[in-house]
Amino acid sequence: MARYRYPALPASEVTPKALFEARRRFLRRGVALGAAAAAPGLLWPQGASAWQEALKSELDGELPTRRMAGGEALTDYEDVTTYNNFYELGTRKSDPEVFAHKLVTDPWSLTIEGEVEKPGTLALEDVLSREALEERIYRLRCVEAWSMVIPWIGFPLRDLLQRHDPTSRAKYVLFESILDPDNLRGQRRSILDWPYREALRMDEAMHPLTLLAVGMYGEMMPNQNGAPIRLVVPWKYGFKSIKSVVRIALTEERPTPSWVAQNPEEYGFYANVNPEVDHPRWSQARERRIGERGYRETLMFNGYGDEVAELYAGMDLNRHY
Amino acid sequence: MLSARTRITAFRLLVLVACATPALYITWQWFYGDLGAVPSEAVVHFTGRTGLILLLTTIAFGPAFRLTGWVGFMIARRQIGLWAFFWLLAHMLSWMGLDQYWDWPWIAKEMVDLPYVRYGAAGLVLLVPLAVTSFKRVRQAMGERAWHWLHRLVYVSAALGVTHLWILTRADYRMASLFLGVLLFLVVFRVGDAIVHRR
Repeated sequence: MARYRYPALPASEVTPKALFEARRRFLRRGVALGAAAAAPGLLWPQGASAWQEALKSELDGELPTRRMAGGEALTDYEDVTTYNNFYELGTRKSDPEVFAHKLVTDPWSLTIEGEVEKPGTLALEDVLSREALEERIYRLRCVEAWSMVIPWIGFPLRDLLQRHDPTSRAKYVLFESILDPDNLRGQRRSILDWPYREALRMDEAMHPLTLLAVGMYGEMMPNQNGAPIRLVVPWKYGFKSIKSVVRIALTEERPTPSWVAQNPEEYGFYANVNPEVDHPRWSQARERRIGERGYRETLMFNGYGDEVAELYAGMDLNRHY
Repeated sequence: MLSARTRITAFRLLVLVACATPALYITWQWFYGDLGAVPSEAVVHFTGRTGLILLLTTIAFGPAFRLTGWVGFMIARRQIGLWAFFWLLAHMLSWMGLDQYWDWPWIAKEMVDLPYVRYGAAGLVLLVPLAVTSFKRVRQAMGERAWHWLHRLVYVSAALGVTHLWILTRADYRMASLFLGVLLFLVVFRVGDAIVHRR
């Protein structure tokens, strides 16, 4: 019997310098904040919120990392935080960063209900205290034919769902974003049917790649990227990865996501990244990797086919787009 | 009070500044890296919007003349119309060069596959005979009647441009609706004016 050869560490597994430096920056900031907190009521009258404190202490520890973007370079933090689709904060790419402060994330709670034995509403700090965080480097492919590579920090959605004991009738998982039209300018107009809704089939939701993310680049999630907690489904178009989640409901019937309600011809329930099925108004065969010159060929399931293709075995992906 | 001639010259100067300043602005932003994560996309959007605004402004100079009777609008119309053409040409070239890297097979494929590319291209192609016949001598050789008939194509071109923008729009139709509203107003004004004056 051949002896198992332990694989050599490829260069792509080495922490990129930018990421390393981002962590150093974060740690320094943490020290500065600690000092500020120690000076009573000086810079920081109320202190950070409970979930921010909980998350910060976790981010300071060592987190396991899984690099799942084939060694492709991380997209610049600057680009990831200034080129966003988050219509609650405005429809221009630059709006979410400009109006990021309008998203009120403190306090934050998450409701899990529907077809579960143990429904409940939890403060975010209580969610965080139950879950083990890890870093996952994924490609993100937007339906608008651009893409990024982002180091998310989060935990598998299935860890959370399993704690609430889904019933046998649970076939789908519905997610809802925050509804706060007083602060979120986009929600004062009916661009979409607010609040933003997304949904997954149960097996998709339970897939180990499906993440609930609370941070990126070693830091807390910036508001424009969907703070404080968002979904990340790397083999689907970005709009499936719903931001700023407040409610998760397990259902027997298939829910209608916001974009499907807005235009069912253009946006399907599955929205799997698929270079062979074009959006009616543009090609999906290639993508602009933000920060790069030229285009990349779009990969089937965004390059995660080995992990997820079996979920769709026997399905006509031209029809179930 | 300024003389009539001075006022016209001042207006022509104003048109020049208004049409050229955005070019300086976008060039400045490009070289200083102020155009965000995807500068080529920002340039394509900016040239397209500026071109369409100038095209609608060109059309609006007609009603402006009818309402005020000031001949300066008619004199400056050729000037601003040519600026609109150049901005829209820059729009197409920046798309082909900055955005598509002169990838001709892909550009051809986009042209075949995507209606919005076809509408935009058709709108620009229709402006070519208008630009060519904008010279005084050509215009005189054509005769006023034929020239005016030909230049009504500007409405078709603007409609194609607005359609191009409309198709491209995703969910938020504020800007596209504004352009469409202005175009409809100009068309209604032109038709109403023609009926009232039986021209």
